[in-house]
Amino acid sequence: MWSYLVRRLLLLVPVLLGLTVLVFAIARLLPGDPVALAAGPNASPAEIAAYGREFGLDRPLWEQYGRYLWGLLQGDLGVSIYTRRPVIEDLRAYLPATLELVLAAMTLAVLVGVPMGLWAAVQRDRWPDYLSRVLALGAISMPRFFLGLLLQLGLAMALGWLPLGGRFPITEELPLRITGLLTVDALLAGNLNAFWVACQHLLMPALAMSLSPLATIMRMMRGSTLEVLQQDYVLTERALGLPQRLIITKYVARNAFSATLTVIGLYFGWLLGGTVLVETVFDWPGLGLYATKAVVTQDFMPIIGVTLVIGTLFVLVNLLVDLLYGLLNPKVRPA
Amino acid sequence: MHHSDNPQVNRRQWLGASGAGLASLVLPLDAFAQQGGRRVLVIAATQDIPNFDPHIATGYSASFLLRNVYDALVRVEGSPPKPVPELAQSWTVSGDGKTYTFKLNPAARFHNGKPLTADDVVYSFKRALRLNKGNAWMIQGVVGQDSVTAVDAGTVRFNLLKPFAAFLHVLPWIWVVSKADVEANLGSDDGQTYLRTQTAASGGFKVRRAEAGNLYELDRVDGWQKGGGNLTGVIWRIVRETASQRLLIQRGEVHIAVDLTSEDMDALKDKPGVVRIIEPEYRTFSIKMNTRHGPMADLDLRKAVSYAVNYKGILDAAGYADLMVGPLPNGILGHNPQLAVYRTDMAKAKEHLAKSKSPNGGIKLTMAYVSGLEQQRRFGLVLLDSLKQLNIQLDIKPMLWPDMVAACAKPETFPDFFPVYQTANYGDPDNVAFAAYHSSRNGNWQNAVYANPEVDALIERGRAEPDSAKRVAIYRDMQQKVVADAPDIFGVLEKRKLALRDNVKGFQFAPVASNAIECFGLSLT
Repeated sequence: MWSYLVRRLLLLVPVLLGLTVLVFAIARLLPGDPVALAAGPNASPAEIAAYGREFGLDRPLWEQYGRYLWGLLQGDLGVSIYTRRPVIEDLRAYLPATLELVLAAMTLAVLVGVPMGLWAAVQRDRWPDYLSRVLALGAISMPRFFLGLLLQLGLAMALGWLPLGGRFPITEELPLRITGLLTVDALLAGNLNAFWVACQHLLMPALAMSLSPLATIMRMMRGSTLEVLQQDYVLTERALGLPQRLIITKYVARNAFSATLTVIGLYFGWLLGGTVLVETVFDWPGLGLYATKAVVTQDFMPIIGVTLVIGTLFVLVNLLVDLLYGLLNPKVRPA
Repeated sequence: MHHSDNPQVNRRQWLGASGAGLASLVLPLDAFAQQGGRRVLVIAATQDIPNFDPHIATGYSASFLLRNVYDALVRVEGSPPKPVPELAQSWTVSGDGKTYTFKLNPAARFHNGKPLTADDVVYSFKRALRLNKGNAWMIQGVVGQDSVTAVDAGTVRFNLLKPFAAFLHVLPWIWVVSKADVEANLGSDDGQTYLRTQTAASGGFKVRRAEAGNLYELDRVDGWQKGGGNLTGVIWRIVRETASQRLLIQRGEVHIAVDLTSEDMDALKDKPGVVRIIEPEYRTFSIKMNTRHGPMADLDLRKAVSYAVNYKGILDAAGYADLMVGPLPNGILGHNPQLAVYRTDMAKAKEHLAKSKSPNGGIKLTMAYVSGLEQQRRFGLVLLDSLKQLNIQLDIKPMLWPDMVAACAKPETFPDFFPVYQTANYGDPDNVAFAAYHSSRNGNWQNAVYANPEVDALIERGRAEPDSAKRVAIYRDMQQKVVADAPDIFGVLEKRKLALRDNVKGFQFAPVASNAIECFGLSLT
């Protein structure tokens, strides 16, 4: 088990190295002149050249890459040519917000999607099944930002139940930063009021983010449950007179969940890279907007930094998924 | 069967849980930021403030922070903007316009309590020039490293390298730092790392909280400045969607929204508690033509296009706006509202087309626009429609802004039409004239290709002439010459659209940097 874990973690190194080469090359080979842009409209050609030199952009590409890797080993992800802020500082500021949003969205999606999928399968071709089908179709078809706007108009503007946007009331001090996830930090500080307030801010954006994975998880769970329900051992359990609740929760759900787990792992990575619209609508100070701005202005270092972080998280989550398979099903447990 | 019972239990549980959940969600609206005697003004804006260094940071969000936290020798107020004292109590200008002597206010203190002296002013200008970033371009070539001297602790003298009529107008954007604070934190980069997140300032506010991508809170300083409004603090809240800014101002959760669209302004009409500010600003929109390469290098074709454009269509597409009358923004010193400019006249358009190298049209031209800027695309569609009448096709291409900037480097890569918004950084005609029409700016997006030595000479005379009346005459001459060359389709001046809650008092609109709100004089009732 441990050697499997170490092997998988070591595999992370070539994956991330490959990612740096790819993103480094793509970011530099794109047309456009981000240095002229960053130097400002009033910079002369000599000033633009000096600006490029300051960031080492006049060096050969391999040398730039070598310097980047050397910095990376020391925890330095470079500096934005726009804001001149170290990328690592920016990631520290923006990543926790996105992570909290994605974790909350995935939690919602799993907590609602898995039982609903299970229920729809058990009640196949009855109203819970039809309801889940309609919900899934609606959730998949509805663009996230549009749902976000609808939620804002309904729950915030018309009913006044939830705040319109942001992570925390602007006039209140944030709980002491430990993890950067406000809900977790509030709990660690024992501040239940702050936890509740942070949850209120988190609910609408997480709901908007969660719908698409929720629908997929629900449909996957339904499909795999139906498959498991037709297995001989389920028939045997029924014949033995085991209560339906026990058959479903103990034997069917556990086996059906394995397939759904893969989707959950994949969706996690997908959501990490796709928060920008929800972040925009809800003024969520996260990584999505930071990354988008970097891409639009071709700001090399933030682009590479964000890609690396999302890549790392994606690989780690999928490693976790592989380990969970083992927990659910001893047959696929790594030796 | 067992499962026939389960749904009822599940349904009941589900409904119960949903009801409890909904009931617990009912909560009061965010409290307004006026509690316990604190009066905190909240401004909603789309832009973050990534860097606090007054000699590096640019953009309206940074200008907001810097003009409230730092002081400059003078500030500008009113419309048209006039320089008024800030750190400098008074000043004198020599007859040749090259020597400026400023008497500093002896009461001026930094936030650390130390007095602000002439040494700090000299240090700040030298640092700005040394770094040569941010707003340094405004004084580059006018103020040299040895131009600024401290006559005594309370007097600063500038011996300009050449006369510069707009000098007092650029001074508000060169802020003064505490020499002692910066030198104590110099590091290896002239204090850039320190000043990126810290301040060494003397202004009416200081930074209380900075949460990147979320908000910046300023606290009022009981400092050397007297008077002003009753605010105890200000929050710059980042709200990326203009529609969200509108909802927030409507709900009273913010006091000022600075990035609203025409549609937002329409929606806010007659909303209780909301005051709309729709004012002309020195921000021009024009479509530059490639005067050096390709079909548009032909003056007659440019004139034909200039006459063919549906100006009313452009005005309609712009929402709250005025049509430009020539190259300078309406209302700025020297602008000539009577100037004869191109207006839609198909007869004249066809007359010039007949004289051009493509007398029957039949050509295909390209217009690039910034990908995602819907407004520019709309202007492009108006142009496409206008050119059809000359039998000219238009290809409208979205491009990323870095690619567009790169395309400006050479006339060969510059598209036939290139739309540009240009904001005046200081309230003097020199700003727009020099950036947009002087040939030294060629290769740059503000003026990639246009060059006329006569226009260059007039712009240089205009910036050196201290006498206002003479400057007016020079700029009028310059405008006429530029119009005759038809390098641009002179488009519109979009009005600045702000919304305020009606309990914000003391707000004065200025047509320069109007979204970088100056807060010292504001009050909340």
